[in-house]
Amino acid sequence: MLKPILLVEDDKRDLELTLVALERSQLANEVIVVRDGAQALDYLLREGDFRERQEGNPAVVLLDLKLPKVNGLEVLQRVRATSHLRSIPVVMLTSSQEESDVVRSYELGVNAYVVKPVEFRQFVTAIADLGVFWAVVNEPPPGSQKASRRYE
Amino acid sequence: MNAPLPDLALCASEPIRVPGAIQPHGRMAVLGPDGALVAWSANWAGADAARRAAGLVGARLAALDGEGPAALGRVDVDGAPLDVLGHRSGALVLLEFEPAVDEAGTQAPIYSLARHFLPLLQRAGSVAELADLAAREIKRLTGFGRTLVYRFDEEGHGEVLAECIDPGYDSYQGHRFPGADVPAQARELYRLNHIRLIPDASYRPVPLLGVEAGWEPASLDLSHAHLRSVSPVHLEYMRNMRTLASMSVSIVVGDRLWGLISCHDHAPRQLPFQTRAACEHLGRLLSLQIGAKEDNAEVAQRLELRRLTLQLVAQLADSDATLQQLAGEPGLLLHMARAGGAAVVLNDDCWTAGETPEREQIAALAHWIAGKGVETWACDRLVQEFPPAAAFRERACGVLAVSISQVHRHLVLWFRPELVRTIRWAGDPRKEATVGDGRIHPRRSFASWQQQLRGRSLPWSPAELAAAGELRHALIGIVLRRAEELAEVATELGRVNKELEAFSYTVSHDLRAPMRHIAGYVDLVQDMEGKQLSERSMRYLSHVKEAAAYAGHLVDALLDFSRMGRSALKRKRVDTHVLVEELVAELARQEPARAIEWQVAGDLPVLWGDPFLLQVALRNLLGNAAKYTRTRSRALVRVRAVRGPEGEGIEVEDNGVGFQQKYVGKLFGVFQRLHQTEDFEGTGIGLASVRRIVERHGGTVWARGEPDQGAVFGFSLPAGKGDAKPREQGED
Repeated sequence: MLKPILLVEDDKRDLELTLVALERSQLANEVIVVRDGAQALDYLLREGDFRERQEGNPAVVLLDLKLPKVNGLEVLQRVRATSHLRSIPVVMLTSSQEESDVVRSYELGVNAYVVKPVEFRQFVTAIADLGVFWAVVNEPPPGSQKASRRYE
Repeated sequence: MNAPLPDLALCASEPIRVPGAIQPHGRMAVLGPDGALVAWSANWAGADAARRAAGLVGARLAALDGEGPAALGRVDVDGAPLDVLGHRSGALVLLEFEPAVDEAGTQAPIYSLARHFLPLLQRAGSVAELADLAAREIKRLTGFGRTLVYRFDEEGHGEVLAECIDPGYDSYQGHRFPGADVPAQARELYRLNHIRLIPDASYRPVPLLGVEAGWEPASLDLSHAHLRSVSPVHLEYMRNMRTLASMSVSIVVGDRLWGLISCHDHAPRQLPFQTRAACEHLGRLLSLQIGAKEDNAEVAQRLELRRLTLQLVAQLADSDATLQQLAGEPGLLLHMARAGGAAVVLNDDCWTAGETPEREQIAALAHWIAGKGVETWACDRLVQEFPPAAAFRERACGVLAVSISQVHRHLVLWFRPELVRTIRWAGDPRKEATVGDGRIHPRRSFASWQQQLRGRSLPWSPAELAAAGELRHALIGIVLRRAEELAEVATELGRVNKELEAFSYTVSHDLRAPMRHIAGYVDLVQDMEGKQLSERSMRYLSHVKEAAAYAGHLVDALLDFSRMGRSALKRKRVDTHVLVEELVAELARQEPARAIEWQVAGDLPVLWGDPFLLQVALRNLLGNAAKYTRTRSRALVRVRAVRGPEGEGIEVEDNGVGFQQKYVGKLFGVFQRLHQTEDFEGTGIGLASVRRIVERHGGTVWARGEPDQGAVFGFSLPAGKGDAKPREQGED
């Protein structure tokens, strides 16, 4: 069973484009979509709406930096501070090139910091690279399983 | 100015308080604590005569109190009426007997004084007028041939303010008498004992004799005695002046001997006791009036100075409150201190008004004064204190300075010119004494002569010093307020900067996103519906995509540019050779189809700078060279080192399209482009970034070009501490 990819994205257009990119990258992992930092933490900690979800951590968290309620940096901080979540790969996926954001993300232990390219094809490539890299590193995909469940 | 005068020291040793003798126009009897005779003057018939006369005074002795002599009435000694004065000196009682003289008139002089003189005195408007009135009145009361009123300056020189003379007497109006004429000791006696009469300068002193054998005449202090015998030096002085009788009435203001009413006569002149009492009283009235007038003048001056100070401060506070504005109000500034020139010194800067020394001279002076570490400093003989001032003493013999800051050399200075004033001395104070026989002979020549007072200015009055101090306080207040305002501005600036940062963050994040969305969705449409769209629709879509992509790049470039101004420089030693090699490789990868000949010199410098920013700058320069040689069949780019006195740097030369040199100024501006966008892509920010990076490092950028002949772009950075250590030897 492939571990899912947790995608945290509040902008619906970015969300759609990211899903298309993940789709095109032919990843078999299920993609769990949440729309803000609070939901992301609920998912990871199996609280709130995700109280009932199965145990287990996602293969990778693709985390938007600028999020309503709890922002990406806060989510990252919480993940790194929680013992059973600490090892989850977290990739900041963001529009921001602010140096302070990059510095802060790395200080908090982000695994990668990716500025979303303006060019769609580059964007697709970047997402695909990410997904493949983290999914492969964590667990080689035994088969193809296209799925995306969305909680909105 | 004056050489030290010898007679001061010598006269100081004259026993003027204890001469052991009296003048012959009266007699003296000295009683001990028990009322017994202790000493008598040799002009009594004998001790018994003195004892009898003293006995006649009897119970009136009880009336003696205070320091000065008091009138003890009249006694009849052997048929001659004598006026008696008495005073206590320690345990002793000194009695002075003088032949009684009845006034010719009916009115007692003291009564006429109160009735006639006092109202005039009260109406007088100035010190000079007071002096004039006093001279006339004393003349009227005493009949002396010449009466003078003179004032001592701070050095003891006397200046004649008023005189009243009979025909045949020399006029001394406006003359000055050297301070040496009245030695310090005598001056002190004038302060204590307010009247002294010498009826005949040719007198022979009458010695004092003791009742007991071995009594020492010099043990008797005659400071307050009217009959006290005066210094032979003084008598000689009088005779030289053709003065046989003299009288001095002290003018004591506060506790200070302010001046004298001095009377002279060519003939001996005796004055009855009542007249002397009236003169002494006149002196006291005059002293009070002068004191009041001077106080009023002082208060008026202080008020005026305060008004000027406030006016100055108000004008300064209205302006942008920088201290150099003071010099912009030369009239007020100069008027305030009655100065000929003024300067405001703020560290190495200097603003002047009026007549001042040269800037370098002011700077040196300010340095010297600042070194004293005092708030206010004044001097009216600058050359004596600060010898370099000799070079500018015509303009500044007097200096008043206030220091505005303890930390910085911030001073306001006022200058007064040399007071080359012409003074008529009554005699030459420098041709003072001729010491031949061990005694002092006062000068014999009294022809007026003129002395030019050099090397000094009008002195700074206490009121002026106080006003300068007050101005100093006000200025410090203004400076402090200014500093507070600046701090507020800085806080505000910090806030604005934060807002700007937030703005650029928003731009970076929120403006990029829609660009990306436009480009992304266009891509999706092209992918999915491309086959069903007309060729024209496809072309339109590609324009939309290009525009979005361009807008995205523009945002990125702008952000990069703004970041260059904000982030702190992290300087290191940067080996530009390595940097250039890497960039060349990167550029080659980006456009593999192009064949560019890169000629990179082997001696590119190690620079002291921020490695990331230097990379951005070099990438822009190399990228430009690659870009603008695109039309060349054989593109050649040379990268070489530049070494000059201002530092080291790099020049990049290409054989590309070049530019017109007259546009060189525009090249480095933001969004300045010299070529059509269709011909050469780019946002027009690259060279602006290069300039900003180089200038943040304190370096310079330059460019040379000619249309179609290629271009040279270069920069150099100042040598940093990284250069102190050359590249490691032997490791390469």
